[in-house]
Amino acid sequence: MTAAIETRNLTKRYGHSRGIIEVDLVVETGQIFGFLGPNGAGKSTLIRLLLDLIRPTSGGASVLGLDVRRDRLAIDRRTSYVPGELSLYSDLTGRQLLTYLGNLQGQVDAAYRESLIERLELDPTKRIKSLSRGNKQKVGLVAAFMIRPELLILDEATAGLDPFIQLEFEHLCEEARDEGRTVFISSHQLPEVEHLCDRVGIIREGRLLAVETIAGLKERALRRIEIDFIGAVDAEAFANLPGVSDLIVRDGTLRCTVMGSVDALIKAAAHFEVRNIRSVDTSLEEIFMAYYGSGEAADKSAAGEASHAAA
Amino acid sequence: MLLRNVFTKTVRDLRWPTFWVSLGCGVMTAYFAILFPTYSKLFDLNAMLEKMGPAVKLLGASLGDASTLIGFLHIELFSMILPAAMVAFAAGMASGFTAGEESRGTIDVLLSYPVSRSRVVLEKWLAIVLACIVAAVVLWAFALTGAAISASALPPDRLGAALVMLVLLGLAFADIALAISAFSGNRGAAIGVTVALMVAMYLIDALSSIVDGLGTIRPLSLFRYYMGGDPLRNGLNLGDAAVLAAVVAVFLAIAVVAFERRDLAA
Ligand SMILES: Nc1ncnc2c1ncn2[C@@H]1O[C@H](COP(=O)(O)OP(=O)(O)O)[C@@H](O)[C@H]1O
Ligand SMILES: [Mg+2]
Repeated sequence: MTAAIETRNLTKRYGHSRGIIEVDLVVETGQIFGFLGPNGAGKSTLIRLLLDLIRPTSGGASVLGLDVRRDRLAIDRRTSYVPGELSLYSDLTGRQLLTYLGNLQGQVDAAYRESLIERLELDPTKRIKSLSRGNKQKVGLVAAFMIRPELLILDEATAGLDPFIQLEFEHLCEEARDEGRTVFISSHQLPEVEHLCDRVGIIREGRLLAVETIAGLKERALRRIEIDFIGAVDAEAFANLPGVSDLIVRDGTLRCTVMGSVDALIKAAAHFEVRNIRSVDTSLEEIFMAYYGSGEAADKSAAGEASHAAA
Repeated sequence: MLLRNVFTKTVRDLRWPTFWVSLGCGVMTAYFAILFPTYSKLFDLNAMLEKMGPAVKLLGASLGDASTLIGFLHIELFSMILPAAMVAFAAGMASGFTAGEESRGTIDVLLSYPVSRSRVVLEKWLAIVLACIVAAVVLWAFALTGAAISASALPPDRLGAALVMLVLLGLAFADIALAISAFSGNRGAAIGVTVALMVAMYLIDALSSIVDGLGTIRPLSLFRYYMGGDPLRNGLNLGDAAVLAAVVAVFLAIAVVAFERRDLAA
């Protein structure tokens, strides 16, 4: 099966500053894919490359198996896009805009369009210039969903939506997925998309760091582990265990941070008499931060450890 | 419905500017046509022009014979006011075609629908062609009505020939502005450069008969082709029209290619 999105060594430089660097990303069809990264990471750059709005410095990309440069119109017919900084023709009403975009597309299921307008509670008679950011966003979403695209590319599409509409939007994404279509949604806030996405890609400073399922992301989670021992323990026995860092052994208690599997740590601990094990699961946000700021999450846990030790 | 495609949408965007420019130029021309007999009775215009000497040539009244309505319109309107209005309108609108969509950010959504970049440029260009033709036809009708009211002779075909040249001149500058904005994405630069070019070309043409040396570069001025053949007196000069049409075609092609190749502003 052809991937919904495939980039090969995709690189975009703006003069000397980076946009994205050698991104190899594959998004399979039939899923909701979250594209996560802090502001300035390169999310919009990658998306605008997929739309052929900007051209790569090197590398290439295909969408639905079609080359983004060569097969532009074929891709446009089967995909839709809501840009991050959404601007629409402000002198048109919502309905006029949807009419125009529908005409550009060719064929639009009018009944489905009306149902979308209703579900997102859009007032299509208002001029776009009079709409709030959230309401403007709704026009963009109706325009994107109304053509029932095989791939939806949404750049920070949830920003500015109120909670009820956000929920309706998530239903729309899930419906699309359940029909075997693909949703690619970027965000700089994990909590906004964490429960929605099947998989996420994490980009930071222009480089794709990881592509994971949410479950996998949790699996690779940083865990804070504390083990209380009965009797003396040899700190040396825990040194250099795979995935273990920030190790402190004091007063019969071991504290450390584990990335990924805790197996090696448990096996090492089994050589001693264990009274209790506590595992403090980090939140997904913390995991995310671990990918983001290579230093940041580690610093945080180190700081926690230090205060612990002082107490 | 004016929301069918990029062409009709642009026609819709241009409808009010086109209405006002057509009406303004039309009423002005009708006004001169109606008042022409009164003017020519009150003043011996040719003698006045003669007395003003070379200075009047700066205003473009190089070939005029003010004793006929058509000569009068040439001096009063076709030499400066109408081309300035037409160029300002056509180039002003064209400079915002792609650059306006870019700076407002609407280009992202537009191009995510199955419309190619070249199609966007061409359909928008077609809309400005239509707008210029509409303005010219309105002007033609107003002028002939005015002439009929004042019972002055005004040959419709030669007026038409001058309007063809006016439209071609407007489109030539419109395409220059379109090409600059398609290349740079900068509407201000497109307007600035185009207006500067228009003024320079106007001065070259107007001054070439009184300043030695300018004659050699006069062929570089589009104004040379616009009224150089005096279409109001001699009818359409196909050679001159072809030169302007070629400029229109070349800069349209440059605009299409430039827009096709560029990274578009976010
Ligand atoms: N037109 C541009 N010119 C120069 N640098 C740019 C341009 N667009 C984006 N960048 C840079 O590329 C990087 C990625 O930007 P962007 O893709 O917008 O990030 P994100 O969407 O993840 O917030 C940023 O460092 C930004 O400054
Ligand atoms: Mg962005």
